Amino acid sequence: MARGILGAARQAGSVLVTLAGLLALTFFMGRMLPTDPVLAIIGQQADQAAYDMVHHQLGLDRPLPVQFALYVRAMLTGDFGDALFTGHRVAADLSRAFPATIELASLAILIGVGLGVPLGVLAAVYRGTLFDHATRVIGLVGYSSPTFWLGLMGLILFYSTLGWVGGPGRLDVGFIDSIEPHTGLLLVDALWDGDPDVFWNAVSHIVLPASILGYASMAYISRMTRSFMLEQLAQEYIVAARIKGMSRWAVIRRHAFRNILVQLVTVVALAYAFLLEGAVLTETVFAWPGFGRYLTAGLLAGDMNAVLACVLIVGVIFIGLNLLTDRLYRVLDPRTR
Amino acid sequence: MSITHPAPAPAPGLQAWLTADVTTSPRQASLQRFYYGWRRLRGNPTAMIALGALAALVAVAALAPVIAPGGYDDQDLAARLLPPSLMHPFGTDDLGRDILARLAWGARITLMIATLVAVIVAPVGLLVGTTAGYFGGWVDAVLMRINDIFLSFPSLILALGFVAALGPGIRNAIIAIALTAWPPIARLARAETLTVRNADYIAAVRIQGGSALRIITRHIVPMCLPSVIVRITLNMAGIILTAAGLGFLGLGAQPPMPEWGSMLSAGRSHLTGAWWLSTVPGLAILATSLAFNLLGDGLRDVLDPRSE
Amino acid sequence: MSPRLPLAILLLLLQAPASRAATPRDALVMAWNLDALITLDPAQIGEVNGNDIILGNVCTPLVNYDPQDISRIVPAAAESWSTSADGLTLTFKLRGDLKFPDGRAATAGDAAWSMQRAVLLGYGNSANLTQWGFTKDRIAEQIRATDDRTVVVTMDKPYPASLILSAAFASNVAVILDREAATKGAKVVDGKSDLGNAAFKTGPVCVGPYRVTRWDANDVVVLERNDGFFGQKPNMRRIIIRHVPESSAERLLLEKGDIDVARLLTTDDLKALEANKDVRIEQTVVQGMSYIAINTVDPILSNAKVREAFRYLIDYDGLARSILPYQGTPRASLIPEGAFGALDRAAGQPFKLDLDRAKQLLTEAGYPNGFTKKLILSANSISPNIAQHVASNAAKVGVTLELEQMADANLFTRGRNREFELQLVAWYAGYPDADANTFRHAVNPDKRPEAKLTMYPVWRTGWQDLSINEQAAAARMEPDPAKRAAMYREIQEFMMHNGPFVYIYQNIRPIAVRSAVKGFVISPFFVDYGSASK
Repeated sequence: MARGILGAARQAGSVLVTLAGLLALTFFMGRMLPTDPVLAIIGQQADQAAYDMVHHQLGLDRPLPVQFALYVRAMLTGDFGDALFTGHRVAADLSRAFPATIELASLAILIGVGLGVPLGVLAAVYRGTLFDHATRVIGLVGYSSPTFWLGLMGLILFYSTLGWVGGPGRLDVGFIDSIEPHTGLLLVDALWDGDPDVFWNAVSHIVLPASILGYASMAYISRMTRSFMLEQLAQEYIVAARIKGMSRWAVIRRHAFRNILVQLVTVVALAYAFLLEGAVLTETVFAWPGFGRYLTAGLLAGDMNAVLACVLIVGVIFIGLNLLTDRLYRVLDPRTR
Repeated sequence: MSITHPAPAPAPGLQAWLTADVTTSPRQASLQRFYYGWRRLRGNPTAMIALGALAALVAVAALAPVIAPGGYDDQDLAARLLPPSLMHPFGTDDLGRDILARLAWGARITLMIATLVAVIVAPVGLLVGTTAGYFGGWVDAVLMRINDIFLSFPSLILALGFVAALGPGIRNAIIAIALTAWPPIARLARAETLTVRNADYIAAVRIQGGSALRIITRHIVPMCLPSVIVRITLNMAGIILTAAGLGFLGLGAQPPMPEWGSMLSAGRSHLTGAWWLSTVPGLAILATSLAFNLLGDGLRDVLDPRSE
Repeated sequence: MSPRLPLAILLLLLQAPASRAATPRDALVMAWNLDALITLDPAQIGEVNGNDIILGNVCTPLVNYDPQDISRIVPAAAESWSTSADGLTLTFKLRGDLKFPDGRAATAGDAAWSMQRAVLLGYGNSANLTQWGFTKDRIAEQIRATDDRTVVVTMDKPYPASLILSAAFASNVAVILDREAATKGAKVVDGKSDLGNAAFKTGPVCVGPYRVTRWDANDVVVLERNDGFFGQKPNMRRIIIRHVPESSAERLLLEKGDIDVARLLTTDDLKALEANKDVRIEQTVVQGMSYIAINTVDPILSNAKVREAFRYLIDYDGLARSILPYQGTPRASLIPEGAFGALDRAAGQPFKLDLDRAKQLLTEAGYPNGFTKKLILSANSISPNIAQHVASNAAKVGVTLELEQMADANLFTRGRNREFELQLVAWYAGYPDADANTFRHAVNPDKRPEAKLTMYPVWRTGWQDLSINEQAAAARMEPDPAKRAAMYREIQEFMMHNGPFVYIYQNIRPIAVRSAVKGFVISPFFVDYGSASK
């Protein structure tokens, strides 16, 4: 028991150290970049006096370590500051941007895993056949095509021509006041409020961008699954099990697939984390007010408040997911203990 | 499982040396393995097609001055946005430049990107991942925390920082992107390492006095290579596209460089009108990515010690 | 979780879906790229989005530009004005029916306070007033309310009334903010009150046809009609501005009828929409100029002949036929067309592509083999194409221009810090009078780097001509319009050949509107949301 607590404490400690390191690195790197956030606030016509005034207001004239310390202290009390490039509080902005991305990423990864894993297994089993090559090519098209191209083609076909899905944006314009942001996840909030109109409208808007992101993930996940499965299928125990009379699919299901779960989990977790980091181009094409655009825009504006908060979130996600998958390893595969 | 064929009839000279059943030196043994691997690769038709495609890419890159002696920036405002024709097989762009010419010259940049990615991402990722997985304990903890930092660190900041420090251009952008692309490889390698580090044969090498370095490089890294290779070949296209996306920030190839990714981005505002602006470089990127991927799969099959 | 919950959800989901896609009858839906929007406080707005939304639509200034002829001033919140005999006092008589959104009456006290506030806060917009001699310590006496409907402005020089009305009182600094609301929401920063700056950032309380009811960053801005507005009643009850940062996406939305107005469109999309019967394209030539700034501190670029050579490297005609449609019209004068005192179209663009002339000038300057310089530019819009065009022509005379694209924020920073050799950038004149750009692109009060006159683009180039400074000061004060125009003609001719700026085109603002939208009044300084009806 004591060892468990000590282990947990050690792990919590290492997480905090990592997060602190990440924030410090981002902070110092950011401050050294040539983008000047003061300009956006004062405008092109402002004179040097205005510049100095705002420069002082933002605390930019203090030494870097002091600025960082002040930021961390504020952050620990839950104050993430103002986002200079949006004019709003960072916390308020993120409470809308992040759920938007969570919704998109989660749906996308479901598509990616739901399609990618079976396809990868089948491609490995039927290796070298037309099916194998076909899935590879189709998958690669999704992965190598620029998302804006896929997105625009998808919009032209499914939205403009066929009218099957909703257009750019999370909801039709007529619904913008109809929803209470309980969680920020439109699908969940619509169910919460018991509003089928909003629910289906949100679905019609999310299905295309999620499919595109899912398509790209599917390509990657299916390729990796295939690779892992091939490694397993080449092993001797497969032959042994078949000799013992197991059917081919039983072997795959009970043994081969189990053995690749560890690596598969790694791959899927990483794919999900990357999706959560936000797909900037998809968000741009679909006017999706998500995390990716927020982070990029903040960075381009030199807005350290926004960037640091975003990096903190991304850090927590990646570290958290990695710790989780490490735990899963021990559960799924005894060899890793 | 493979079935051993009876030894072929002795062939003359080099061939005999490479196929001899009994080797007399470690160098001969490694060269033999290389030769057999090559023969296996040769027997894989898709991998051979891929190899051919990549060889064609290298040829085009080398012969660009022959294919397009006018260079890649021959502007003609009167001839802009022309659709594909006999005189311009891929059409012209919005400054009247021949797209085939730009594609040919751009092949060099594509190869440079691919090389940089392979050279940076694979070694760093493998080294970090296998070391962390093999030693475990605090080495693992420290390396994985560093891994997490690089994973979470927005590649954009690194790219901006590189540009600020070293100047703009595609090479610095690729280095920056590659430096944030190795963490997933490391995690992959680490996962593989965790499953094999307690295997019997590893213990055997250790008993025989093998050092950690030897174990890692000779025995563990080969186990990780297959999935790493697949992942890296997938990375190539992704990195080209990421660099293209950064172009609008001045982090990609600066105009008028005919980098395929930035040609693609520039064609974004003409998607419905002059579709060839984006589609042609897009197909080129796709074809290259496909070739790398097919080759990667082929190499994977050859290099996977488990599929002897 | 109640066992009936899943069933309820299922039943819910099986109901037939409704759609509310086509825009609501009582709302005008506009799509735009709102990335640059960082504040809605009129005293602080320094970019296109904020100006468009606030000026005239949310906050009405004292006077306005006549939409049919922007050189004429018409009454807005002020119903009349008069100048004293000595020309030093300008008196505004405000309308009696000015109301804030909550119905309370707005007075001259609010008006005067708003203008004082702009100067006291000291952001870029304060230049609209401070460049006419209004200062922080004297503003309370210089602009004051003498009764509930009268605002008295005291100047220290007899500026022509038409000039100062155009320059200061039709802009964001001359709106009528709710002093009470601002003071109630004021925060104390560094020991001083912020005069409601933080509170008004997300929506000012002022006299105007609409008020801001919602602003979700990077998502949407919603305006609602004020029923107590004094002027023409706005037709649409709501204005919904959606953030759609991709031109093709906006085009698809417009074609489908999911939006009424599209603001961000590339040439390709505009061309496609021209053919669409349900959509019309409104092109407005605005008071913005795109140009190459040359840093004259650089030893090579300090040579006037070198700078003149650059003028002949641009194929104005070729660009006009190819890249510029919908984006700009060729112009080489520092004063945009439509401003008082501007050269007409022909006189304003006398240059042609002439590589021989350029080569000759370079040789005379001492650089027969050319040289290498860096040109920094924005990655947006047609800048990359323009830059590549110029670079290609420059290469033909031996000048190698290395291009460096960057984000806008970086571009402006480098410009202000004088860290460039050549810069391709745009500048919007604050008001439609030759004085505006003359005092930013020609007049340089102090060329030393220590002076840090960063708001003067001409200072950033290190160029100065003292006689131009004098001519400009004289032209500003000249009461006779004909004489004034002649003085500006001289200044323009001189700057066209000697100045540090190589102007390429005057910006065009294209707006695509669905045919169902009628009566939408669009002028260079004011997009009148309230005039649109469906």
